[in-house]
Amino acid sequence: MDSLKLGPYEFSSRLILGTGKFSSTRRMLDAIKASGTQLVTVALRRFNREQAEDDLLGPLSEMGGITLMPNTSGAATAKEAVRAAHISRELSGSPFVKVEIHPNPHHLMPDPIETWEACRILAGEGFLVMPYIPADPVLARRLEEVGCTSIMPLGSAIGSGQGLSTAGMLKIIIRESSIPVIVDAGLRAPSEACAAMEMGCEAVLVNSAVAVAGDPMAMASAFGEAVLAGRRAWHAGIMQKSGSAVATSPLTSFLGTD
Amino acid sequence: MNSLPAWLTDRRLSADIAPLLVQGDGASLERLAAEAQAITLRRFGRIVSLYAPLYLSNFCSSGCAYCGFASDRKTPRRRLEFDEIEKELAAMKAIGIGDVLLLTGERTGNAGFDYLRRAVDTAAKVMPRVAVEAFPMTVAEYRGLAESGCTGITIYQETYDPDNYRELHRWGPKRDFLERLETPERALQGGIRTVGIGALLGLSEPVGEALAVVRHVRHLCRTYWKAGISVSFPRIRPQDGGYQPSHPVDDRFLARMIFAFRIGMPDVDLVLSTRESPRFRDGMAGLGITRMSIASRTTVGGYHDPENAGTSQFEVSDNRSAQEFCSALRSKELEPVFKNWDPAYNGPICKEVAPCP
Amino acid sequence: MPEGSSVADLLELAGTGRQQVAVVLNEAIVRPENRATTLLKENDQVDVLVFAGGG
Repeated sequence: MDSLKLGPYEFSSRLILGTGKFSSTRRMLDAIKASGTQLVTVALRRFNREQAEDDLLGPLSEMGGITLMPNTSGAATAKEAVRAAHISRELSGSPFVKVEIHPNPHHLMPDPIETWEACRILAGEGFLVMPYIPADPVLARRLEEVGCTSIMPLGSAIGSGQGLSTAGMLKIIIRESSIPVIVDAGLRAPSEACAAMEMGCEAVLVNSAVAVAGDPMAMASAFGEAVLAGRRAWHAGIMQKSGSAVATSPLTSFLGTD
Repeated sequence: MNSLPAWLTDRRLSADIAPLLVQGDGASLERLAAEAQAITLRRFGRIVSLYAPLYLSNFCSSGCAYCGFASDRKTPRRRLEFDEIEKELAAMKAIGIGDVLLLTGERTGNAGFDYLRRAVDTAAKVMPRVAVEAFPMTVAEYRGLAESGCTGITIYQETYDPDNYRELHRWGPKRDFLERLETPERALQGGIRTVGIGALLGLSEPVGEALAVVRHVRHLCRTYWKAGISVSFPRIRPQDGGYQPSHPVDDRFLARMIFAFRIGMPDVDLVLSTRESPRFRDGMAGLGITRMSIASRTTVGGYHDPENAGTSQFEVSDNRSAQEFCSALRSKELEPVFKNWDPAYNGPICKEVAPCP
Repeated sequence: MPEGSSVADLLELAGTGRQQVAVVLNEAIVRPENRATTLLKENDQVDVLVFAGGG
C-alpha cells in the first residue's frame, strides 16, 4: 500500500487537517471525518471553564483512528516551542510535534532560526518533529540534518489563500529531500492540493480552506479526493510539457543527418 | 557493501529523462537543442569555463581493455618529477590556463598518494583551481588532498553495467565495481567540493549508461547537498592498442544525451574534452555544454616538451590553441572563462559547526 | 486557596471535571498521578492547558 510513512507511523491518508477557525467544534469534527484524515494538528490553550466545549482531546480520542500532532503556535522562541512540545506530549501521548514559531502576528511567517534550534532540541529528545518553515531549500536540508521527521514548507502565508506561490522552491526542496515534504499553509482549493501532490509532496496540510468554506464537510471531502488524485497522477508519471519554440536557424545542423 | 545500491536501478530517479533519449527525427533533436540552449542561457549565461589536463604519470597497474596506458601495453612509462611539474604548469599559465586537472593511472608505487598530494601542493601554488583524476582513495586521503588545495575529483565509473565492468577490467585494483562506484561519496565525505562523474561511452548500451549516470548525479545531490557535481561524456576513440568499442555512440546520440541531461539537470556542469572534434565542440558549446578542456596534451610532459613526450592515453581531436578556441567561442557569442574561482575559498568543506549561542 | 492545597484541589476549583488537562507548576510538568500529592505554595505559577483548535 502507498502509505505515508512518518517515523514508525503509517497513514493511508495523505491529507492532514488543522483544527482552527471552524465555526464550531461539531463542524470541525464532521469535517475531519469526511476528509478521511488520520493526522490532525491542535494547539495548546489555557483551560477556560466557560469554553470547556472547545476542548478537542476528548472528542478526537473518541473518534478513533486519529493521531494528534500538537503544534507550538503561540511560541515566539525556541524555548517556548520546546516547552509547548513537552506539555503537548504529556497531554496527548503523541510523539508528533509541529514546530510552528511565528513571532509576527500579522503575516505569521515562521522564524527559521528559532525553528532550527527548537527542532534540534526536540529531535534529540525523540519527538517526531515536523517543522513549519518558509520554502527554503537550505533550511530544509539543515532541518533534515538535525533529525526532523518531515519538512513542512509553506505554500503561501497562513490563511492568505495564495496557493502554491512557492512552487519553484518546493520543487527544489522535493528534489533534494530524503524525508517527506508536506506543503502546509496557503492552500485555498482542492486543485492546489492536487498540484502539490503531483509535484511530489508526500502530503498536504490544510486548515483555513476547509474551516471557512461554506460547507466544511463537503470541502474536506473534496480535499481528500484531490490529494488522492494528485498522488495517483504522480505515481502514473505525468507527461512532460513540450519544449520551447524552435530557433530560427537550426542549432543541430553541425550534426549532419541520421 | 556487497550488493548494488538501490539508486542504481531506481527508475523513478531517471524517469523524466528516459523518453528524451529515444531516437526520433531531426525535428525532435532540434527541439531538444533549443530547450537545452534556453535552459543553459538562463542558468549559466554565456559562460564556458575552461580547464586543461596535466598528465603526471602513465604508470598503471590495471588492465583496462580500452586504455592506452593499460599495464600490458608497451608504452614507455614515466612520471613527472616536481621540477617538471612546475615547468608544465608555467607553460600552461603562459597560455592563460587557471584550472588544471592532474591525472595519473591507477595507484602504483611510482605514483601513489604521497606523490599525488605533493603534486597538488605544487599546483595549488600557481593555479586558482586544482582538480584530480586519479585512483580511488580513502576518505582520509581525500581530506589530505582537500587540505592541500584540491577542489575537485573526477572519477569515471567507465561502465555502470557490473557484468561488463568485470570483463573490461581484467586485473588490478580497478576490478572492484562497488569500490569505484562509491568513490565520489568518499571524496565528498573527505571535504572535496566538487565531483565529476561519467560513463565511458561505447563500453555498454548507451541509453542504460545515460540513465545510470543521471541516477548517480541525483543520488549524490540528494545525499551531499553542498556538493558540486559535474558530468563528462568521454567517448571511446581510437588509440594505440586498438580497442574497438562494442556500443559505439554517434554524434547525434551524444548530442541528444547532452540535451536531455541539460533539460533534466538544469544546474549541473556538463563537460566536453578535446577528445571531441572542433566541429562537435563548437556546435555543442552553449547547447548544454558549460565546461571544456583546451589546448590539451594527453602525453606525460606534453606541454613544455612535446617532442619527447611519448604515447598518449587517447588521441586529441581538437588541437586548436587556447587562443583559436577562445575565438571560436566568442564568434558564437559565448564567453570563455579561465578563472571562475578565487583560491581563498579552496579549503575543504568543513563539518558543521554549531551556531553561536 | 487554603494552605496545603494540592494541584488536584486547584483543578477541582477551576472546574476541569473529567476533561484531560496539562498542568505546569513553576515550569515543571505535573503528571496526573502526582497531582493529589503536589502541594502549592504562595507565588507558585500554575498553568492549566488543553488542546484547542489551531492550524
